[in-house]
Amino acid sequence: MIEDQIALIKRELWEHRSLYLTPAVIALLLSLGTVTGQATFSAFGHVVDLAMLGGAHLGDNERAAAITALMSIVSVFFVIGMWFLTIFYALDALYTERKDRSILFWRSIPCTDFETVLSKILTALFVVPLITFGFVIVTHLAVLSISSIWISFQGADAGHMIWSVAPLLDNWLATLAFLIAVPLWSAPFIGWFLFISAFAKRGPFMMAVLPLLILPMLEKILIGSTIVAEAFYIRAWQMPLFKGIDPTEFFDQDTQSIPEAISLIDMMDLSGFLTSGSLWAGIIVCALFTTAAIYVRRYRDDS
Amino acid sequence: MTSLVSARNVSKSYGTTRAVDDVSFDIEKGRIMGLIGPNGAGKTTLLKAVLGLTDCQGSLSVLGLDPFRQRKELMQNICFIADVAVLPRWIKVSQLLDFLQSIHPRFSRERAEELLSQTKIRKTAKVRELSKGMVTQLHLSIITAIDAKLLVLDEPTLGLDIIFRKDFYANLLNDYFDEERTIIITTHQVEEIENLLTDVMFINDGRVVLDAQMDELSSQFVELMTTSENAAQAQQFNPIYEKDVFGKKVLTFEGIDRDELAGLGELRTPNVADLFVAKVKGGVK
Repeated sequence: MIEDQIALIKRELWEHRSLYLTPAVIALLLSLGTVTGQATFSAFGHVVDLAMLGGAHLGDNERAAAITALMSIVSVFFVIGMWFLTIFYALDALYTERKDRSILFWRSIPCTDFETVLSKILTALFVVPLITFGFVIVTHLAVLSISSIWISFQGADAGHMIWSVAPLLDNWLATLAFLIAVPLWSAPFIGWFLFISAFAKRGPFMMAVLPLLILPMLEKILIGSTIVAEAFYIRAWQMPLFKGIDPTEFFDQDTQSIPEAISLIDMMDLSGFLTSGSLWAGIIVCALFTTAAIYVRRYRDDS
Repeated sequence: MTSLVSARNVSKSYGTTRAVDDVSFDIEKGRIMGLIGPNGAGKTTLLKAVLGLTDCQGSLSVLGLDPFRQRKELMQNICFIADVAVLPRWIKVSQLLDFLQSIHPRFSRERAEELLSQTKIRKTAKVRELSKGMVTQLHLSIITAIDAKLLVLDEPTLGLDIIFRKDFYANLLNDYFDEERTIIITTHQVEEIENLLTDVMFINDGRVVLDAQMDELSSQFVELMTTSENAAQAQQFNPIYEKDVFGKKVLTFEGIDRDELAGLGELRTPNVADLFVAKVKGGVK
């Protein structure tokens, strides 16, 4: 069972090379962006001194916070990329095999429809975030290393300014938690896209997206309520992973300094997230759509 | 019970159309069964039922399993080539071998590599880079490397040129087939497989029109080629089919003693294609 899942998931990565090529391209672009950005700064080297760019007079906590901000911006690009990637992957996962008729080959292999569809939902929910996470780490290290080189060229001590204070482990754990939380929180959408991928005769994209747009409108026009729209909105934007945080509380109002080290992990409410009813309701909806996808693949007879 | 496939009153409807209509048959181990019928006769539906790809009414047992409900177990012992070009186009030959090796308990990678080394197929090539004939070669090679009890071929050589078709059947007999293995095959090009079949089944409008062993055909059927005058005389023996060929009459008889027709003209055993036309068209008359 486990070996079969590994083989099936490998198969997904062979077919959908975008699952690792997309984060690879994002990593490359961000690293290149760092290089060109800093080269541009260097051109104005006599104007822009180090102090302005998070310079030496800042305390450890402030520098750590600045590095965390930089690392978080990098992570956000990957999360956005991953979000689109997962949706397009889910839409494609059970559609292309029918379109090119290779489903007849896949069904000639001793794997149940359950195992096959399971490998696809596992890929969407866990494999894609883990791959993305790997690229995030590499990109973080690349961006910080490029910055170190630049700082060294400016005559400062990069070891002191960056590496001695950078909260790498904390940031990475937080990033991993975030990358895994996003697909789980969006699981009902991913399940829906996977189901449409198994169900649609043609044009799965429109078939999947139109109801998401039309349903809230119909509800508003016919009933006048906005329950669906709000549910979608919460699902899209209000992931209950972060505690309510007032950013000003980090700053000492008098000195504008940061008295305590900021930890992204501490800002997260992991147990609150994992015990949130909405999360599990969403996962159940996802499981229902996935089950429907398995049944459609098994019982539909149009090949 | 030695039957590998056993069907009793199997039916399958799509809406109001009965694609397979109350079909019963047995296929024994070590046979090569040709399933022959016009388009839309129900061949593919019947094969899909045998492969567990579709549910059906009646009782159907393949290798002692219920094909629809025990599909995973069944697929460990069955292979099928549903059509040409259903191998995924994006996959590399080496990936296909890797995948089967990890997922199929009866796949022998060594055997597959040995068979592929006799072809021009490179292991680094993707399926989309191969010609249609090579894809079929690849498919047959991997299937030959699976130690399966039953092979189902549905139009395996459709769209291939004659050289590939000949090679395909030669490889099928030489590399794949032995008395432990059983093959079910459908094709439009009956003439090409006639000599390798041990059994033949005709299907028309979802019903079995004929189910016979090839070596019984000569005792069951006879074709008389004769003049119009003699043909009138032969009519009394109730031919199942009659046609004109180059100004002569050709009559096909079923279950008749050849001696009774002796002297009326030239007698011979009809080939499968002619017999098929006689049974299907004759049945309509």
